[in-house]
Amino acid sequence: MTMSRLGAQPTEVIDRTAKLRFRWNGKRFDGFEGDTIASALAAAGEHVFSRSMKYHRPRGILTADYWDPNLLVQVGDDPNVRAGHRLLEAGMDVRPQNVWPSLHRDIKAANGLFGRFLTAGFYYKTFMRPAWLWPTYERVLATFAPGGKIDLDTPHRYHDKRYMHPDVVVAGAGPAGIEAALAAAAAGARVLLVEHEHAVGGHLRYSSSDSARAALAELRAALDASDVEVLTNSTVTGRYEDNWLGIVQRNHPIAVERLIKARAKVLVAAPGLIERPYVFSGNDRPGVITSGAARRLINLWGVKPGERAVVFTANSDGDAAAADLDRVGVEIAAIIDGRDQKRVSSAEGSSRALQAVVAGGNRIEADLLVVAAGWTAPTSLLNMAGDRPVHDPAAARFFPSDPPGNVLATGGLAGDGRIDELRAHGAATGRLAAQRAAAVAHRLQALTARARPVEGNEPAWAPDERTPLGRDPHPELYRSDTHGMVDLSEDVGSKDLVAAAREGYDSVELAKRYTTATMGPSQGKLETVNTVAAIAEARGETIAQVGTTVWRPPYAPLTLGALAGRVFEPVRVSSIHPWHEANGVSTILAGQWIRPDHYGDPAAEVRNVRTNVGLIDVTPLGKLDLRGPDIPKLLNLLYTNKWSKLPVGKVRYGMMCAEDGVVLDDGVTGRLAEDHYLMTTTSSGAGSVWEWVENWLQTERPDWKVHVTPVTTAYVSINVAGPKARELVGRVTEGVDLSPEAFPYMEVRLATVAGVAGCFMWRIGFTGELSFEIHAPSGHGLHVWEALMDAGQDLGVGPFGLEGQRIMRLEKGHFIVGQDTDGLTLGPSTGLGPLIKLDKDDFAGKPELAWAADRSLPMIVAIQTDDPNVVPEEAAQIVRGNTNEILGRITSARMSPTLGRSICLGQVEPELAAGGTKVTVLLASGERISATVMDHHAHFDPAGERLRG
Amino acid sequence: MTGIGRRLGRRPPKYSAAALVWRGMRGDYWPRIWRDTELKRSYDAVVIGGGVHGLATAYYLARNHGITNVAVVDKAYLGSGASGRNTAIVRANYLTPEGVAFYDRSLQLYNSMALDLNINVMMSERGHLTLAHTDAALRTMNWRAEVNKLQGVNSSVIGPDEIKKIAPALDTSDHPRYPILGALHHPPGGVVRHDAVVWGYARAADYMGVEMHQKTEVLDILCEGGDGPDGKGPGGKVVGVRTNRGDISTPVVVNCTAGWAGLISAMAGVRLPITTHPLQAAVTEPVKVFLPTVVVSGSLHVYISQTDRGELVFGAAVDAVANYSIRGSLEFTEELAGHVLELMPGISRMRLLRQWSGLCDMTPDYSPVMGFTPVDGFLVDVGWGTYGFKAAPVSGEQMAEAVATGRTPKLIAPFALSRFDSGELVGEKGAASVGH
Amino acid sequence: MLLVPCPNCGPRNSADLRYGGESHARPDPATATPQQWRGYLYLRDNPAGWLRENWYCRSGCRRWFALERNTATNEFRNPPAPGDKRGGKA
Repeated sequence: MTMSRLGAQPTEVIDRTAKLRFRWNGKRFDGFEGDTIASALAAAGEHVFSRSMKYHRPRGILTADYWDPNLLVQVGDDPNVRAGHRLLEAGMDVRPQNVWPSLHRDIKAANGLFGRFLTAGFYYKTFMRPAWLWPTYERVLATFAPGGKIDLDTPHRYHDKRYMHPDVVVAGAGPAGIEAALAAAAAGARVLLVEHEHAVGGHLRYSSSDSARAALAELRAALDASDVEVLTNSTVTGRYEDNWLGIVQRNHPIAVERLIKARAKVLVAAPGLIERPYVFSGNDRPGVITSGAARRLINLWGVKPGERAVVFTANSDGDAAAADLDRVGVEIAAIIDGRDQKRVSSAEGSSRALQAVVAGGNRIEADLLVVAAGWTAPTSLLNMAGDRPVHDPAAARFFPSDPPGNVLATGGLAGDGRIDELRAHGAATGRLAAQRAAAVAHRLQALTARARPVEGNEPAWAPDERTPLGRDPHPELYRSDTHGMVDLSEDVGSKDLVAAAREGYDSVELAKRYTTATMGPSQGKLETVNTVAAIAEARGETIAQVGTTVWRPPYAPLTLGALAGRVFEPVRVSSIHPWHEANGVSTILAGQWIRPDHYGDPAAEVRNVRTNVGLIDVTPLGKLDLRGPDIPKLLNLLYTNKWSKLPVGKVRYGMMCAEDGVVLDDGVTGRLAEDHYLMTTTSSGAGSVWEWVENWLQTERPDWKVHVTPVTTAYVSINVAGPKARELVGRVTEGVDLSPEAFPYMEVRLATVAGVAGCFMWRIGFTGELSFEIHAPSGHGLHVWEALMDAGQDLGVGPFGLEGQRIMRLEKGHFIVGQDTDGLTLGPSTGLGPLIKLDKDDFAGKPELAWAADRSLPMIVAIQTDDPNVVPEEAAQIVRGNTNEILGRITSARMSPTLGRSICLGQVEPELAAGGTKVTVLLASGERISATVMDHHAHFDPAGERLRG
Repeated sequence: MTGIGRRLGRRPPKYSAAALVWRGMRGDYWPRIWRDTELKRSYDAVVIGGGVHGLATAYYLARNHGITNVAVVDKAYLGSGASGRNTAIVRANYLTPEGVAFYDRSLQLYNSMALDLNINVMMSERGHLTLAHTDAALRTMNWRAEVNKLQGVNSSVIGPDEIKKIAPALDTSDHPRYPILGALHHPPGGVVRHDAVVWGYARAADYMGVEMHQKTEVLDILCEGGDGPDGKGPGGKVVGVRTNRGDISTPVVVNCTAGWAGLISAMAGVRLPITTHPLQAAVTEPVKVFLPTVVVSGSLHVYISQTDRGELVFGAAVDAVANYSIRGSLEFTEELAGHVLELMPGISRMRLLRQWSGLCDMTPDYSPVMGFTPVDGFLVDVGWGTYGFKAAPVSGEQMAEAVATGRTPKLIAPFALSRFDSGELVGEKGAASVGH
Repeated sequence: MLLVPCPNCGPRNSADLRYGGESHARPDPATATPQQWRGYLYLRDNPAGWLRENWYCRSGCRRWFALERNTATNEFRNPPAPGDKRGGKA
């Protein structure tokens, strides 16, 4: 086969004045603006583009478009680029894939000699003994992985997404698709027309007939004059629920690839047809191409595909290819007409080039074999909408059966016809789409009546009164009297499929899985029908009986970059965060929050709080503002304890359990006024507890009058803790008597702090020290924090972080929901059984908690290691003696700077829960150490004298 | 393959390199992997569901207990459900002692499967990394590691430097939102060729006399003596199965379905604590192999492995919305890609080739429901959530023992249906709640 | 992406809502037997067909509502009338 550049063609898309220089396989080449990589290389006489997956057979152009299985190349750091589709750019560095060591001398081609033993699925039947060699076999098999190379330093380039709400999306801009778009737009619909190729026109683009060229010019002009938005080099990749469409745009000026998400009211599928290869001996040899490839090469890029051709044609496209070849001076050695029961039997030649074609027992010298054996209907979008296309043997392809009413097919999917018939069907489809879109729009708006009152009645659902397209008869041509390749990407031959079916893999899905046919980069676009045909043949059944595989999204592959888009991973910080950063903070991630962990020395922070005073930013603490007369009922329902008699200004601790009795959250709630409470939750529970509260209020107790407003981020929360806390807070607070008598532990006041009115001040804390927790409006948070810091210089005030707080809460034995409890920890296991008031009428989880009261449960206990210097890992297991029987685990452990010893919380089996029990802790090192269960949770100040101070 | 062939007095043609060469030279076809037989009117046991669980159950019934008059029925083709849709990851690094013991046995059976069944299931013991992005996650990893070690299962927590050595594609740099703080490293974990497991069990069971019936849909389970209508429900017993190919009489029915487990059980009058959710997965185009291990991130809801063919296989958490539709969603692929690029930013130019989904039966405690039910002769092996494939060999082995002996084997006792009456759930839920 | 008919906000992408699962009545905790209560906690009808279920319009009106969905086809029916605030209870 010798390809070369022809003189100017009337339909060509290349600009011969714009020469582009690029590299292929290490050598320099030239092409023109408008060339694809493949057309430029073909024009330069290249005819081997890749090696096949298993046998490393040389492969050349087959279809010369996106789906060509032989034209996957590496361009720079971009693997698996479709050279049949990707436009040439100056400076491209294009390399072949899957070659070893080189494209033209490939040692693995020796596999071809063993082809009869490397039948499909051979690897399931060998490499089993000796078992220890299998990892080596596996490594060798993995070197046969096809595809390009990933450069792990590739940056995630700019990607962005677009959202659209068009009335009608038309997938495919052939003559029918363009007419559908025009007609829908003319009827008032907002229309998006999406074309996979680089320009609109479909098969008209590469038709050299006068009528086709005239029609194309007319359609282009009409599109230019219309309001239709046209996207070229873009593909509708998927149709999902309720016509939610994914569209990939490959030619966006900025984004490398852009994902468009469109909620279309009606989708028109007009992707045209894909030409199906024909199976015969040597059908994968370079020089065997489809009729579409021949016509595209000649008419779009002015490439002469060969010197002497045999044309095997069963349809008018094949005839047109023969005419094109003849017109540009390719010698036609023979035309084999498939409509007359004539067949091609084999393509013969050297390893790299076609030399002769055998048909009807005759050997015909030729360097080009053009095949037009029929069509695959790419019904993917219809499949995704739930349609199960049916096979029509008379037309030798699948047709839609019954897609949902908001998905319409036109063009080649729907039938055959002259250009004017296809256009008329497209236009009728567009009108129908516009009518139905109007009905859908009305229905959606009616469902939104509160926001936008809808006028008039819903338009009637327009019936489908389109004149159906005809179906041209076509011979059923799948395989000749010889065997050949069915799936060129996967090196699966018809023989493999027959053998698989004989072996029992005789449904299309089993055969597909066993042989890997249709699993390659074109995902069955070229090979599905031939695969089904091979199985049908082996079973003696029809294609309709065997059925077909389900086409799955995406229709065309798209990059992970496009799907991911710009990465939006928000983080949250409090308004005090700049101060933390300026003061040497080490942060810790908690959900989306970035929180101060410590400022260099957490133990020193603890000592400062225990002796002087410290500030911690606890803004992520969940805060729910509750208003209304029925709040006590709500609190009684959600917390396990009682809330009916909480006076104004008082605060109470509560534990929440789920309906299965498992601990859900805990926190304090204070009564700010008669009908006004503030509920606090754990930081991680801020969102889920809010939804939990809303759920109860809306679904179980809708008659209760309570309004809930989440105010977590409306306030910063600062806990001032330490013996000198009162002194410090007093210096900046107005309007509140801070004396222990006037403002005792577990009360709340409204205060003005550092001149900021409207702060809530709580006598609560997690550290066990005298504490004031200030909730200040967020905008003033940094100011309040700095004012406290300034005012406390002489008191030794300093910040402390989460780590310091965790140490101090552990010293006090406070458990953390989710760390010391887990998904099965029932309320009584926390040791807070007295807070579970089973004499209340009802509360969340009450029945389970009542039954649990009679059971012996694992318990959360304080534990101290007998060796005070050993801090077990959080997760260290508590075991029975020297056995491996698990009796519990350490859930929290720290070295206490206050006590100078290791302290822990853990969960243990009931038999170990009593104070004084000796337990064995298995350290991660494997060492077993002895530890003692304590009488109560608090390792420090169990009477709580300091916090009441 | 000691058991195979013993029952029928014939042996399957052995798979080996020599046999491949011999048949290749002669141009012979291999015989059918399982026979196509008539559906009989009566069996000693009927297994519903021709996936890995059902086939393993049938295989072990024949091999370990000599019960060969067994039919496995499937409404489509063998392996058409979750068996052929999962991401084929196997591991034993669970949280609870009962979970670890159970899955460890499964891993052992996977490791010896190629020789046991004489089919190369391509068990790739390539290691398994569960990444921790937060303190809390790291604590759970430590917890799992400690429990694993006590059960003799190889797991340990490793730091970012070691992670980078194992999987250079991972971004272990200082990442604002999802830093990789450490990982649970589980060297025995890996991937298996899931279809080969289906075919291997079917082939081995077939040669011992078990019948595989594809395109055989169960329409009803025939019971008598039960509290409910038509003799179904607690107190009743199974007498047969109604299929689209006629009625079968049998005293034992084992429900090994996924996705339809609740509907099948309802046919016997047994209610299950199950909701059905799709689990989606996706695969990229192949590139040269660069990821030598399985990578999982709980916080990012994603797991990743690369096949020997070079494709990256991705899985995620189940869809939130209960569903029997398996059409898949765009948002799944968007989230997946975003999360994968958080972990491996260098692969943004790889292309997603195909997405699919399967059905998972989710239970309240992320653990299966196995064993006997209140209907005599009706056993279940269901509720596998996203763990079914990993558990198939041991489930088959244990369910076969339950059928053959009439007693609940110790290994599956924690997974009894009755736990939902007593409220004593399995603690894997603990891992799930802490890990997220 | 499902389009869920919120009675207040109109049809919204399902990502804007939280799925609340099958609607089922809470037994009276004063009289429920363990079996009844655990049935409420754990057992679901889980039909392959029409299911009455709850949704929470998390990013919109923040109201819970109930409607019917076909779990095999994802069609909705009997949504609450626009503006309905009964929170899923009939």
